[in-house]
Amino acid sequence: MPKPAFRPLAASLIRKTILIATLSAVCVAAVQALLAYRQAHRQFDLSMRDIASTSLPMLSGSLWDIEPETVRRQVQAIADRYRIGYVRLEARTGQVFEAGRPAMRVAGASEHFDIPYPYQKTGSLGGLDIWPDADALYAEVARSVSSAVLGYVLLTGVVCLTLAIILRRDLQRPMQHIADFVTHMRAETLTRPLALQRPSAHTRDEIDLVADGFRTLQDGLNSYITTLDNLVADRTKELKTAMDAVHELSITDPLTGCFNRRLFNERFQQEIERAIRYSRALSIAYCDVDHFKQINDRYGHAVGDRVLVQVVDMFRQQLREGVDWMSRYGGEEFIIVQPETPLAAAQASAERLRRAIADARVNAGGTAIQVTASFGVAQLGPGENATILLGRADALLYEAKQAGRNCVFPPVPGT
Amino acid sequence: MRKYCRLAGLLCCLMTHSIASAQSVVFIDPGKSDEIYWVTAAHAMESAARSLGMHLDVRYAERDHPRSMDIEREIAALPVGKRPDFAIVTNDYATGPELLRILDGAGIKTLFAYSRILSAPELVDAGRPRARFKGWLGSLEPRAEDAGYLTAHALITRARAARAFGSDGKLHLLAIGGDRSSTTSILRDAGMRRAAAEAHDVMLDQEVFAGWTRDKAAEQSEWLFQRYPDARLIWAGNDLMAFGAMDTWEKRGGMPGKDAFFSGINTSSAAMEDLRAGRLSALAGGHFMCGAWALVLLYDYAHGHDFADEGLELERPMFMLFTPAEAERFTARFGDTDFSQIDFRRFSKILNPKLKHYDFSFAQLMR
Repeated sequence: MPKPAFRPLAASLIRKTILIATLSAVCVAAVQALLAYRQAHRQFDLSMRDIASTSLPMLSGSLWDIEPETVRRQVQAIADRYRIGYVRLEARTGQVFEAGRPAMRVAGASEHFDIPYPYQKTGSLGGLDIWPDADALYAEVARSVSSAVLGYVLLTGVVCLTLAIILRRDLQRPMQHIADFVTHMRAETLTRPLALQRPSAHTRDEIDLVADGFRTLQDGLNSYITTLDNLVADRTKELKTAMDAVHELSITDPLTGCFNRRLFNERFQQEIERAIRYSRALSIAYCDVDHFKQINDRYGHAVGDRVLVQVVDMFRQQLREGVDWMSRYGGEEFIIVQPETPLAAAQASAERLRRAIADARVNAGGTAIQVTASFGVAQLGPGENATILLGRADALLYEAKQAGRNCVFPPVPGT
Repeated sequence: MRKYCRLAGLLCCLMTHSIASAQSVVFIDPGKSDEIYWVTAAHAMESAARSLGMHLDVRYAERDHPRSMDIEREIAALPVGKRPDFAIVTNDYATGPELLRILDGAGIKTLFAYSRILSAPELVDAGRPRARFKGWLGSLEPRAEDAGYLTAHALITRARAARAFGSDGKLHLLAIGGDRSSTTSILRDAGMRRAAAEAHDVMLDQEVFAGWTRDKAAEQSEWLFQRYPDARLIWAGNDLMAFGAMDTWEKRGGMPGKDAFFSGINTSSAAMEDLRAGRLSALAGGHFMCGAWALVLLYDYAHGHDFADEGLELERPMFMLFTPAEAERFTARFGDTDFSQIDFRRFSKILNPKLKHYDFSFAQLMR
């Protein structure tokens, strides 16, 4: 559906004003015409009476003295008077004098005057009929109406013009400006303030209210957008925390907090590749808690779990933070990865761990029990991969188990 | 005796002629050059001038008042030698004071004839003869009141005899005057009113003014006859207005002289004819001679006999009431307006030392 054509508010306001003014002018003209017609009628009647009253004595004298030429001239003089259309004088003796325009001789429109005898004699010498000049009457009415209408039209014109100027300056331009401003508003320019080029005034009007409203709206939007950004940042942070937690969960053993086997597989491969690429030493220690199944059976899983947690705590205390890392590889099996560590150092480290575990005691329902662990330590050999290295460490652990447990294989010299 | 007289007159004339050249007189005739009354008057004056050996120049103002003033100015503008000695003027429409001013300034002696300066405003302007305007010799006029009185009286007598009474038992009289302002008209009307007032059975219904013309009198009488159905007496200030009223009466089916009675003033042949035919019931005239009589006064004045001994403003009976028989005689004698048979020297005091009073009555010419 096409948009309706644009029509400025001021234009339609002016158009309506003119329409109403025109209708009013017609009404005014009609009323004025009516009043003027009645007024003119009254004035014409008065005029006729005036003229008649001033002419009657002379006519009376002329008629009495039988001066037809004078009577004719007097009648003509009356007819020549403004507002007089036609004059007819009929003497009592039958003589008729007429002057003026016969077209004005309309039945019923005349004023009749008796011409008295001169010298205070009673009676009538004849009758004088005077018809008003209808053309002059209408001309007077027209003049009156047209002057009124002209005045009205002039006034209306001035009012409309003033209205147009005021509307254009105070309404149309600012509104247009606001409309343009709103139309061209972009997210990035949302904060640009609305600047109206208006003459400063002592009072405020609706445009100012609209502009203020816009400013309030802009401020509101700005603050809302800012809040929204903060909210998003908060939520993102929360999400990241959650994600980190989930990731932590996915790579960590929930009981002990050390890496699980899935992460080990991934990270261990990377350690192998890095050691090979940089020809660095890499050693691992395969560790298994001795007789863990008996501890579980004898003291319950809670104690078993506590054993595992304590063992891991001890590993954490003994190992190099940020370099060495460990993973719970199986139920009670842990693999400790020690980058940049040759076999001897790894052996020594494992020995230290074994001793620490053996020296510690675990609280099992009021009873302190001793726990031990066995270690198989291996250094990555040339041409070896993760599987081979793990296999060798696993084999060495098996040898340590076979050798009586609570020991490190290959054994540290001097122990 | 008459022969002697004539001889003496001739001698006298020759003598005066030898003393001074013939007096030149200009007459400003207010009438039209084809208006019977004023032409007759001029003819009579010409006859008198011839008879008295004076030089007369008649100028017609053609009833146009400003024109009489123009004529005066023309005369006053003439070289001194060519200016007339005397001017005979009339005071029609109150032009007198202005005429006097012009003529007196030019050193021309002036005599008013037919009508004089009478009304108060005019008197304020002009004063009295031989006072402010030294050249204003005086005036001679017919006793115009006579004309009105004679005709009205005769008219009433005739109507009474014919028992033309109205329903109220009175004789109803309508008067058609000439104008409101000229002395002649005012006086004739006054005479008419005097006659009407004297007769107790006469009711003067209305007086109108028809400007001396036949047409207007005819029109006005139409109104009057409608306004006053009882009126049977119509008095007119001259013959033409009487004719106008008679025209209307006839048009209404009346018979002038039978069922209505008309009177007029003047000695026109038509009037005389109507008088003889009985259509006009009364007619007076003879005042047209006033100008000729004025010449007699000037003649005597020029020859050393000032008329001042009889008064400066002379008002003399000049009218006579004509009977049908006299009308016939008048027509026979003067019908062609030839007055050469009248010897005007008979009336001069210079030429007739025995004459103590000027007699200007017309009746003496009809004997």
